[in-house]
Amino acid sequence: MNKIILLLLLISFQLFAQENQMVISGKVTGIDGDPLPGVNIFIKNTTTGTISEFDGNYQLSVPESSEIMVFSFIGYTSIEEPINNRSIINVVMTEDTRQLEEIIVTGYSSQKKADVIGAISSLNPAVVKDMPLTGLDQALQGQVSGVSVTQSSGTPGGGIMVRIRGNSSISSSNRPLYIVDGIPVRDGGLSTRSFGGQNDNALATLNPNDIESIEILKDASAKAIYGSRAANGVVIITTKRGKVGAPTTFEIDVQRGIIDPTNTIEVLNGRELLQLQREALINAGEDPNNAGIPGVTDAIDTDWQKEVMRQAIVQQYQLSTRGGSEKTQFYLSASYRDEEGVMLNNDFKRGTVTTNIDHQPSKRLSFGLNMNLARTKNNRVKGDNFLDGVYNAALTSLPYYQPYDEEGSLYAPGDAGYAGFPNFNPVAQAIEPRFDTYASRLIGGIYGKYEIIPNLYFTTKFSLDYTSTIEDQFEPTTTAIGGFLQSVGQQGYGIYSTTESSAILNSNVFTYNTAIGDQHEIGALLGSEFISRTSRSGSTVGILFPSDNFTYLASSGLILDGSSFLVNSGLISFFSEVNYKYRSKYLAKVSVRYDGSSRFGEDRKFGLFPAFSLGWRLTEEEIFKGLKWLDDFKIRGSYGLTGNEQIGNFQYLATWGATTAYNGVPAVGPATLGNPNLGWEQNAEFDIGADIAFFEGRLQVIYDYYYNVTTNLLLSESLPFTTGFGSVLGNLGEVTNEGMELTISTVNIDKDLKWNTQFNISTNRNLVQKLATDEPQFSGYSTFTNSTHIITTGKPLGTFWGLEYLGVDPGTGDAIYFDKNNDGQLTADDGTFIGDAQADFFGGFTNTLTYKGIDVSVFFQYSYGNEMINFGNTTLLNSGEDINNNQSREALKRWKKEGDLASIPKYEFGNTDNNRFSSRFVEDASYLRLKNVTIGYTFKQQVLAKLRLRNLRLYASGTNIWTLTNYSGADPEVNSLDGSTTAQGLDLYTFPQVKTVLVGLNLGF
Amino acid sequence: MKRIIFISTLVLSIICFACGDLLNPTPVDLITDDQVLTDANSARVVLTSAYRDFANLGAPKIIAGDMTSDNLIHNGTFTQYREISNKDMSASNGSASALWGVIYSMSYIANFLYEGLPAIEIPQSDFDEITATASFLRAYAYFVGVYTFGGLPIVTSTNVEENRVIPRASFQETLEFIESELLYALDKLPAQSFNTGEVTNGAVKALLARFYLYSENWAEAEKYATEVIEGNGTKQYILEPEFENAISDFSAESIIEIVYSANDNPGTSTNFSINNLFVGRREIIPSSEMVLALQNDGGARTVMLEFNGANARGSDNGWTVVRYGPFDNIQVFRLAEMYLIRAEARAQQDKISGDQSALSDVNQIRQRAGVPLIQGTSKNQMLLAIENERRMELCFEGHRWYDLKRTGRAETVMDEFTNNWTEKDELWPIPLSEITNNPSLKDAQNPGY
Repeated sequence: MNKIILLLLLISFQLFAQENQMVISGKVTGIDGDPLPGVNIFIKNTTTGTISEFDGNYQLSVPESSEIMVFSFIGYTSIEEPINNRSIINVVMTEDTRQLEEIIVTGYSSQKKADVIGAISSLNPAVVKDMPLTGLDQALQGQVSGVSVTQSSGTPGGGIMVRIRGNSSISSSNRPLYIVDGIPVRDGGLSTRSFGGQNDNALATLNPNDIESIEILKDASAKAIYGSRAANGVVIITTKRGKVGAPTTFEIDVQRGIIDPTNTIEVLNGRELLQLQREALINAGEDPNNAGIPGVTDAIDTDWQKEVMRQAIVQQYQLSTRGGSEKTQFYLSASYRDEEGVMLNNDFKRGTVTTNIDHQPSKRLSFGLNMNLARTKNNRVKGDNFLDGVYNAALTSLPYYQPYDEEGSLYAPGDAGYAGFPNFNPVAQAIEPRFDTYASRLIGGIYGKYEIIPNLYFTTKFSLDYTSTIEDQFEPTTTAIGGFLQSVGQQGYGIYSTTESSAILNSNVFTYNTAIGDQHEIGALLGSEFISRTSRSGSTVGILFPSDNFTYLASSGLILDGSSFLVNSGLISFFSEVNYKYRSKYLAKVSVRYDGSSRFGEDRKFGLFPAFSLGWRLTEEEIFKGLKWLDDFKIRGSYGLTGNEQIGNFQYLATWGATTAYNGVPAVGPATLGNPNLGWEQNAEFDIGADIAFFEGRLQVIYDYYYNVTTNLLLSESLPFTTGFGSVLGNLGEVTNEGMELTISTVNIDKDLKWNTQFNISTNRNLVQKLATDEPQFSGYSTFTNSTHIITTGKPLGTFWGLEYLGVDPGTGDAIYFDKNNDGQLTADDGTFIGDAQADFFGGFTNTLTYKGIDVSVFFQYSYGNEMINFGNTTLLNSGEDINNNQSREALKRWKKEGDLASIPKYEFGNTDNNRFSSRFVEDASYLRLKNVTIGYTFKQQVLAKLRLRNLRLYASGTNIWTLTNYSGADPEVNSLDGSTTAQGLDLYTFPQVKTVLVGLNLGF
Repeated sequence: MKRIIFISTLVLSIICFACGDLLNPTPVDLITDDQVLTDANSARVVLTSAYRDFANLGAPKIIAGDMTSDNLIHNGTFTQYREISNKDMSASNGSASALWGVIYSMSYIANFLYEGLPAIEIPQSDFDEITATASFLRAYAYFVGVYTFGGLPIVTSTNVEENRVIPRASFQETLEFIESELLYALDKLPAQSFNTGEVTNGAVKALLARFYLYSENWAEAEKYATEVIEGNGTKQYILEPEFENAISDFSAESIIEIVYSANDNPGTSTNFSINNLFVGRREIIPSSEMVLALQNDGGARTVMLEFNGANARGSDNGWTVVRYGPFDNIQVFRLAEMYLIRAEARAQQDKISGDQSALSDVNQIRQRAGVPLIQGTSKNQMLLAIENERRMELCFEGHRWYDLKRTGRAETVMDEFTNNWTEKDELWPIPLSEITNNPSLKDAQNPGY
C-alpha cells in the first residue's frame, strides 16, 4: 500500500516540460527602506524560485510564459506581482499583523497558518521573555487557551502540572508529550525520592530563552500524527537557529531580582496559643497545669515562618550569538541561572549550552545538528506531608519554643529544651540535611535532508535524550530521620542514588508538496520512527555514621539497602499525512499513525490512530471578498483517535518478583496478576472551530468547541484479598472532557502609542463515565469517611468526599454534620460530595503598551469556580484534637461559651469528632492574579549608533504581584500531591508561589 | 533508480531497528508464572515468601492482641491505631485489612505450591517438608484470622474467578480446616532447623497445643504442651534462667520466632515497624493499667517498659514499650507459653496443685520472673491467676485480647477498662474493601460494623 502511494508521487514529477527562459532581478525592502534578506520569491504555481540576498537583491531565471511572481516572507504579507514582461521588479513588503503567512510547526512538517485546520495554539516566547521563568512549561501559564498550568508549589525547579483540555486519564499520565526540535523529551520528576508530595521537574533543565517558538497541538487532527503518545496533547518546541544571510549578532541577557513569599499564614503567638491550649484541656476536663505545657507567658514567642524563610535572589545570565551565510547558519548560547528558594537552604542552579548548526552544501542537500546541554543542581528541602518537613513544621511549630539554645546551636531531636515528637525543629530540618539532586542532560540530534526530486524531501534524523540524575543525600543526627528514629540507628542516614535514562530515536520522513493545475494543492508526508528507551538506576542507603562530620556512605557503619535496576521499552511507528487544498478555499487533511509499543500485551501491541479534518475559508468565496473589514474567516472541524501508552512496563504479564529475604533466605513472591489483553487508552476527539480576523488584523478571534471521549482507561479493578491480590489492571474506564476555548487579540491603538490586548478563556467539563465497577474509588489523604477524594461515575476527577459541615451548635460548641443516612450517629457512611477542584473557567489576559521606546505589559491570570481542600487546617484549626501544633488565627473565632454563634467548633483536647474531615476544610479557590507586570525601555537608534550597539533594552518585571482570592490558605495555586490527577485541589502545607521582582538588561551588538 | 534508493532506504531503516527486541524487552526483576517452579530450590524460594507473610503477620497480631484489649493505648496520629485503642474500629481500618491481606497472600503462595509441586519432579522428602511448612504457616495465619475475624473464607486454590466470590466458612469449619492442616504437617518436619526462625515439628506441636487450648480440648492441649516441654526423650527447649534473655533473639526457649534484620525493617519505609510504633514515634504506648500490673507483680518483666518524664503530658503517661529493639525478632511461640497452656489445661481438668499440676507450671514462670510463688487455691482462683500470669509473661506478644475472649472474661475486664467496650469488639470487622469486592460477603460483615 505504502509503495503504491510512493510510486504515484514519483510519477507525478515527470509532467513538467522545458521552455525559453528570461531573467528577472530586483530588490526587496521593508516599509522603512531596509533591505529584506531571505524572502522567498517564486513564480506562482511552479517550483521555480529563489531567496533574496543579504542586501535584499535577487535574480531569478524564469520561463517566458511566467505571469505572476510571488514574494513571501514570514511575518509579512505576501505579494503577488504580475510580471508583465518586466525584467526588474522591486517590491516593498509590509508586516502582516494577521500572521496568516506565519509558518506553524505541525509535527513532522510545517504549514502556513492560513492553511492549518487543526486546533493549534502558538506561543511566541518573546511574550514571556521578561518573566523569571525556570522552565518552558511555566511559559504556557495563562497564555494559551485550553491549557491549564498549575505550579504545584513555590519551590524553584519544582513540579508543574500542565493539562491540555483536561484530564483524559485516571491512572496513567496526563502530561502532554513534549517535542524539542523533533525529539520527544522526558518530563515529570527527576528525583526518585518523595519529598512529601512535591517533585522536581525534568523540563527545568531546558533554558526557555533558547526557544524560538512553541506550538500546542490540541485536537485530534493536529496531534494524531503522534498516535499513542498524543492523547494528552503535544507541545512542540523549536529552538532558535541561525538564518540564511543574516549577519552575526550577539546578545547578552541579564536578569537579577529578589524573591519573597506571596503570602504567609497568620498563626497564633505564644500567649494566645497557650491560652487556647489551656482552654482545650479544661474543656476536656483535664488539669492544664499538669499537661506538660508551660504557663501562659510571653517569654518566648517565635515566628517560625520568619525563621525558615528569607529574601532570596534570582539571577540569570545568557550570552548568545546567531548568524548565517548562504550555506551555513548557527545559533550558540550559554546561560547560567541561580534561583534561591525562599526557604532556607533551597536553591536551584542551572548552566546550559545550546548549539544549533545547519549547513547546505548543495541546493538539494542540507544537514545539521542541534544540541542542548544542561547541568542543574537542586538543593531541596522536605515539605508538605512530611512530619519532618520545613514549611509545614514552620506553620505548626509551637511558638513558645525557639530554634536555637542559649549557646546558639540548633535544637536537635530529643533535646530537653525542645518539644518532643511530633515536633521537629524546622530550622534544623532546613539547614542540616543535604538533599542535592544533580542532573546532567543532553538533548541532541543530527539530521540530513535531501531533495530527491523537486519538492520531494527525505529527512532522516537520529537523536538522543539523555539524563543522568545523581541524588546525594545525608541527614545528620540533628535531624528527625538521622537522629530521632531508633530504627534508623540515630547516627545519620545517607542515600546515594543515580538514575540514567536515555531515549534514542530515529525518524525517517518523506514530504512532498505539489500543485496540480492552479486549483489543487497537495502536501503529503510518509514516515517511520523508532524509539528505544532505557533507564538504569542504582541506589544505596547507609546508616550508623561515626559522626556528623562523615556524611558519605564510605563512612557508613551499615549499608542498609542497595539496589540496581534496568528497564527497557520501545516504540515502533509508521505514519502518514495528506493535506489537500482546493483553490485556497477548501482544506482537508487525513493523518494516520500505526504504533507498536512494548508496554502492551501480545494481542494488543499495535494500535492504529487515524484522524481527519476539514476546513473552509469563507473569505476566499466571492461573496465575502467584497467585505473589506473581514480579512479572514475559516471554519474547521476534526475527528480522530489518539492513545496513551504512559503506563508502567510489563503490566500485562503475570509475574513474580524478588521480595525481601527472610532469615537470610532469598524470596520470590507474586507481583502482579497478568492481563494479556491490556491495551491502549484510546481518546476519540471531536473539535469544531473558527479563526476570524477583522479590520486588517486589528481584531482576531479564535474559537474552539471540543468533546473528547477517552475509553479503555487503564484501571486497576479491585479484587478481594481472597484472590491473593489486591487488584488487576484492565482497560475499564471511560472519561469525557468537553469544553470551549476563546482567544481574542486586539490592536486597540496603533499610532505612536500602540496598545494590544490578548484575552483567552477556556472551560473544561470533566466527567468520569465508567469505572471498573459501580463502586467508587478513593484517592488523596485518608480521612474518617475514607479519603479526601472520590472517583465515581457522573462526577469529575478531583471530586472531594467527606462529611458535610453544618456549623457549630451554639449550645454545646460541637460541630454539626449532616447525618446522611439518618441513623443518629456520626459514621463513615455519612460521607458525601463536598466540592471539586475543577474550574468553571480559566485563562489570562495581557495588555501591552508601547510608546516611543517605552513598553509596558500587564498580564493577569485567573481561574474561577475551583475549590481547594485546605487540609493543613485539619491540624492548624483542629479544635483541640491535639495540642502538639500551633493554630491558625482563625481559631480565635471559635465557640467559647454557650450561645456563641461561631464558625469554628469549641476547642476540646482529644475531641476527634469536632475535627472530622468535612466541608469545613473546603474553600473556594478562585483567583485573579496579577501574574506579571513589565516596564521596559528600548534605547533609540541614534543612541545605539553612538554606543555601537544594535539593541539595548532595560526593564523591570514583577511576578505574582497581587492576588485576589477568598482562599484562606497561603496560596490558591498549589497542589500538595504534585501531578496527581485524582487528588487535585489539595493544599497540605504546600509552599506558596513566590513574588519575584527583577531588573533585566538585553543588549545586542 | 530514485525509486529504488527511496524504497530501499525506507526498508533498510525498518529492518535495522525492528530486528532488535524493541517491542519485546525482558524485565530484569520479574519472572512469569510459568517460570517460577522448576526444582526444589525454586520451591524453597517461593516458600520463603510465605515466611515473608508470616513475618508481616507479626506486628498486626501484636496490635490486635494487646491494643484491642487493655494492654496498649494509642498516643499518636494514625487513625487506624486510634480506632483500635478507642474500641471504635471501622471496617476501613488499615490494620484489619493488613492482617486479612496477609492471610490470603499466604494462602495464594501455599496453594501455588500445592498446585505446582506435583508437576515438577522433586524428592518426596523435599515435597513433604515444603508442603508441611506451607501448611503450618497457613494454619497459623488462619488461626490468628479466625479468632480475630470469626469464620473465614477458606481458599484452597489459585483460581481467581472462584476466589473472588468465595463465601465465609463457619467458625467451626474454619477450625476444622486449621486442625487438618496441622495434623497433615505433624511429624513431617525435622525437630530442629538451623535456627528458630524456621518451622520445626516443635512449632507444629506448639500451635496444636494453643489450638486445643482455644478449642477447650484440655487433654489434647496438655498432651501437646507436654510433648513440647519434655521433648522426644531429651528436652529440646529450656526455660531461660533470666526473663530478659527469654525475650531476646534465638533464646533457648524459643520454639519459633519471626526473624527481622536491618534489611527488612527499614525505619523510613511506609510500613512502620513495631519498634517505630512503640519507640520511634511512640504511636502506641502501654496503658497505665498495664504499667501498674507489671510494677505490682511483674518482677523482672518490667524490663519491657521505660519511663521518661519529658513525655508525660495530657493522655501520655510517659511510658514506652521497649520490648522490641529496632531489628528485634518477634517471638511467636516460646516455652513459657507452653507451661502456661499446660497450667490452664490442667486447672481445667482440676489438677490444681501437687505434682504435674497447674500450680507447678505457673510457679515455674513466676520463679523466673522473681515474684512470689502462689499457693494452693481454688480452680477459679487458679484460672484467674493464670490469666494474670499470661498477661504479664506474654504481654506485647499479642495474646491478651484472645485470652479474654476465649475465657468469656472480655466483657468483665474490658468494661472496667473503658466505657467504649461493646460486644462487637470481640471481633474485628471484615475489611470494607473485601465486602465491597466480593458479592458473597455482602451481608457477611461481623455484627456491629
